[in-house]
Amino acid sequence: MTVASDLSLTEEANLKQKQHGKNLDRFLKNIGLGLVISGAIAAAGFFFTPYAPNAPDFLNRLSPPSSEHWFGTDQLGRDVATRLLYGGVWSVGLAFLITLIGAITGTLVGLAAGHFGRFADITLMRMTDSFFAFPELVAAVTIAGVLGPSTANMVLALILVGWMKFARLVRGLSIDLAHRDFITQAKLNDLPSWLILWRHILPNIGASLLVLWTNSWSRSILSISGLSFLGFGVQPPNAEWGAMLLSGKAYLQTAPHLMIFPGLAILVTVLTINLMGDQLRDLVDSRSTISE
Amino acid sequence: MLSVDRLSITISKNTILEEVSFSIPEGATLCIAGESGSGKSSLLKALNGLIPARFEKLSFHPRTCPAITHKGRWQGPPGLQQSRWVMQDPIAALNPRLSLGASIGEGAYSKRLSGAEQDKAVAAALDDVELPPALATRRPTEVSLGQAQRACLARALVAQPDLIFFDEPLSALDAIVQKQIAATMKRIQARYGNTFVIVTHDLGFAATFADQMLVLRNGRMEACQPAKMFFERPASRYCRDLIEAARDLGSLPQDPLMADEGHQ
Repeated sequence: MTVASDLSLTEEANLKQKQHGKNLDRFLKNIGLGLVISGAIAAAGFFFTPYAPNAPDFLNRLSPPSSEHWFGTDQLGRDVATRLLYGGVWSVGLAFLITLIGAITGTLVGLAAGHFGRFADITLMRMTDSFFAFPELVAAVTIAGVLGPSTANMVLALILVGWMKFARLVRGLSIDLAHRDFITQAKLNDLPSWLILWRHILPNIGASLLVLWTNSWSRSILSISGLSFLGFGVQPPNAEWGAMLLSGKAYLQTAPHLMIFPGLAILVTVLTINLMGDQLRDLVDSRSTISE
Repeated sequence: MLSVDRLSITISKNTILEEVSFSIPEGATLCIAGESGSGKSSLLKALNGLIPARFEKLSFHPRTCPAITHKGRWQGPPGLQQSRWVMQDPIAALNPRLSLGASIGEGAYSKRLSGAEQDKAVAAALDDVELPPALATRRPTEVSLGQAQRACLARALVAQPDLIFFDEPLSALDAIVQKQIAATMKRIQARYGNTFVIVTHDLGFAATFADQMLVLRNGRMEACQPAKMFFERPASRYCRDLIEAARDLGSLPQDPLMADEGHQ
């Protein structure tokens, strides 16, 4: 076997890279574990809470945090902790769904623009640009104005203005990749373009997509809360963090816990997802600089 | 047998290559030498259908194709389906997210093999390039450069092509690995009788490998001679200078007779 001496050459660089791959793998596993644990805690919360999110209790209106009501009760006597739990499903879950749909749409548009010729590229990217021209808030307010304020309309608005970043990223990265030698080899080996996209392009842009996705996930949580706070999003009596802030606003002087806890929930969640995205980006970036 | 008659490449009115002709008998090796920018790599790209080229006639056993003018878009190799291409940088030529086995298997994609058949073909190709079977599950970043280049060679071999193009296959590697892989290439050619077209800077390597030499300079053919004759009586002043330079650098033996011995 003549391979033995081949080994020493790039061993050091390889070791570094392997170490890095392990870091990334470990990080992704930690994220997965973290999500499972927080999901489990939230599920346990749903299971153990003795209160319903929308059941009023007029004897206990605006009571401060206590052992009965950990985060106090609101103006109708509803348990704030329970409402935060249910509201989290709206805020975090809807944002997850919106960004997922946005990511899939944007990826499809970006891949199509990057690989189906100049005409497709120009058409799709000008379309993307014109969508970029609408600020999120304005688009959502307009749609709410035309179709009426509701959760579905807000989701529609956020999906409409949320996919373009993905399209741009995917188009750029995949055009860059298309000139790489391994894509040329795949073409010379007669692979059909869908298989080249699936096996060669997508796996190599996946990490960057994941970073952008965590970023827009947290932004989307803020958008949902912001729109609900303005009254264009999730409608009462449904609990949502932004909507809870809105209804607590009137009691800021007498019952500040009505705004503190939803505010903290938004802060902690967005901060966590952002930090997660930052760390992910660092790992992805340093990995790509090694392999260049 | 591959023969190319008066191949020219013109890209937006710049002539990259002008009327290059050569022919190689089956199972022989053509080495293409020349300085950077002389059009060596463009010639390979044109022969693989990646850039448009004109030619009077290009015939390749068993297929013959008439003059084809490519338009800007990639249309696939003209009549050279039984050819494969090994590139210079093995790391760039392998998908970093795909195992070596999967990459090698893609070489046989056009044969539409079943899963088991493909595994068998990949194992055979790994054996041909002297890589342990266990490497099939590794990623390109987890093996050495030499092993990665062997994997690229395996990907080329797995479809059992008549013709293999090499674009500076050894220049990314260090001297010992170069020697080992050159030996592997020789063994493969002896076993399967593939025709090799090798672009190289290294005249020392060419002297031990080539049956036919093609030297390009500024997009023109400077020499096209049998290798033995090329090293004894180069066709032009420029070729003599090239050989002298290689001797001075020590990649060719000083005595022309020794270069002769190295050549089979």
